[in-house]
Amino acid sequence: MGYEELFPTNDLKGWHANAAKRFASPFVDNFHDRIDVDPIILSNAAVHCGFTIRDFYEKPELGIHTVGYISELFDLLPVTHWFFSLPWLRDLGVTLEYKDTLPPVSTGPIISEAEEVDKLEPISKEKLKGGNTDTLFHNLYGYVQKNLPHTLVPISYGFDLAGAGAEMCGVENFIMWTFTEPDIAHKLQNVYVETSINGADLLSDTYGMAMLIVGSVLANNDIFSDEMVEEFSAKVMHHYVDQCFRKGAGPQVFYHLCGNHETDYKVFKKNLVWSPFNVLHIGYMGQKEFPTSVLKEEFQDVTTIMGSVDTKLMIQANPKKVYERAKESLIQGRDAKKGYILGTSCETPPYTIPGQLLALTRAARDFGTYGTW
Amino acid sequence: MATISAAAKEIIEKRGLKEKDVIGVVDGCGDDKIYNKESKLFIAKKEIGELTVYAVFNEAGEVQTAYSHKMKILDIVLEGETDSGWVYCKNNQPLKNGHTNLTYMGATRSGPSLTEPVSGESWFEEYLSVGALTAAEGLFQQKRA
Repeated sequence: MGYEELFPTNDLKGWHANAAKRFASPFVDNFHDRIDVDPIILSNAAVHCGFTIRDFYEKPELGIHTVGYISELFDLLPVTHWFFSLPWLRDLGVTLEYKDTLPPVSTGPIISEAEEVDKLEPISKEKLKGGNTDTLFHNLYGYVQKNLPHTLVPISYGFDLAGAGAEMCGVENFIMWTFTEPDIAHKLQNVYVETSINGADLLSDTYGMAMLIVGSVLANNDIFSDEMVEEFSAKVMHHYVDQCFRKGAGPQVFYHLCGNHETDYKVFKKNLVWSPFNVLHIGYMGQKEFPTSVLKEEFQDVTTIMGSVDTKLMIQANPKKVYERAKESLIQGRDAKKGYILGTSCETPPYTIPGQLLALTRAARDFGTYGTW
Repeated sequence: MATISAAAKEIIEKRGLKEKDVIGVVDGCGDDKIYNKESKLFIAKKEIGELTVYAVFNEAGEVQTAYSHKMKILDIVLEGETDSGWVYCKNNQPLKNGHTNLTYMGATRSGPSLTEPVSGESWFEEYLSVGALTAAEGLFQQKRA
């Protein structure tokens, strides 16, 4: 039995048609219904459907089907996504293992000495073809094309360009090298980045275009100064997106700045590539959600923005608190020049309480219905 | 009068452009063009109907490639800090790698561009026009329908 036999078809003419029209709103100024809600639902979708976190990651086709299916329940996005933070690393020699309560994690670095970096080379497009990551994504999108075509958005992930470099040598080594041997850190990062660009090229050969997801996760103000974030993240993200565009990927880009970007957010505007279709999401300013008002003021002239409700609230038994935080973000962001989406500060936790997701969409209806403010 | 290389003729046909329009862009541009010292190529552009048509030509006036986009160029939104290697022939100012607003089907969005802040002029490069901008136009048509 295929996974598709486990799920009824979405309500295509009702829910999905409306959600699809709404989804386009912030990107093309064709305002419909209300502000969209994207809690970056991943393994929580599997949990809602009775599966496990491990199922979500170990069986990607099942995982993405749960996302497509459960989005209808909470009136979320009409498109599907499935990802984890370490794409392309297996092609570079990193071994990943599945866990019961986590996304796949690396079993350990593949190098430990700075001298070993010179032995690493980016993987060419030809060598990536048919490899771990290419096969994973082609199988995944092949499944979606066949079984959930109404939700298909092929996505190519560079994801965390600093963090992935760190996975190859160990986080401590990487951070140390950024200070003591920055050329080595850059070279290591470059191996991952060029491999990811070749991966985006490969996917765009099949799908014509591929949305890009790229972030700054390890590179944040808890670890690095603004200057270091600019050097090891913002400029590298620019290179990644620029090169992917030159090879046919895009034009959609989701920029995800995870963690604390208290002051380093200022280095991203001048460094990133802003396409006609991009979303910028910043998780935290210090320990609090990144203020939607700041996000709007700084970035609304170049991108659609995504506001945040703290993910911690998504597992506290207090839906009203989620509703109030969502209301605050909605009121601050809903009139952003190039559109606004309500989100959570990162992936909503696997055991997110259904009542909290309802609180988000309820707030979006109450304070984000177009034409009511 | 400008000429068109054999390779460019194929590209022009494939992209649904008219040779006479492309020739017209080159012949009519005067100093309203940009020049890259390294590649020794010029780019000129002209709005023709709903299209902005670009011609890339060498110092002998031979067109090497041509492309277009439907999104209409508006104002510079980020001037950019890095030099692009291009110079605006009208005022000899260097062009930066910046961002410019574009409008299409009633919506205004920005894209990475070559910007010349003194004149306020912007140009979009070939890879972007035939890739991201064309895809974006398709999405606008689909989503605004």
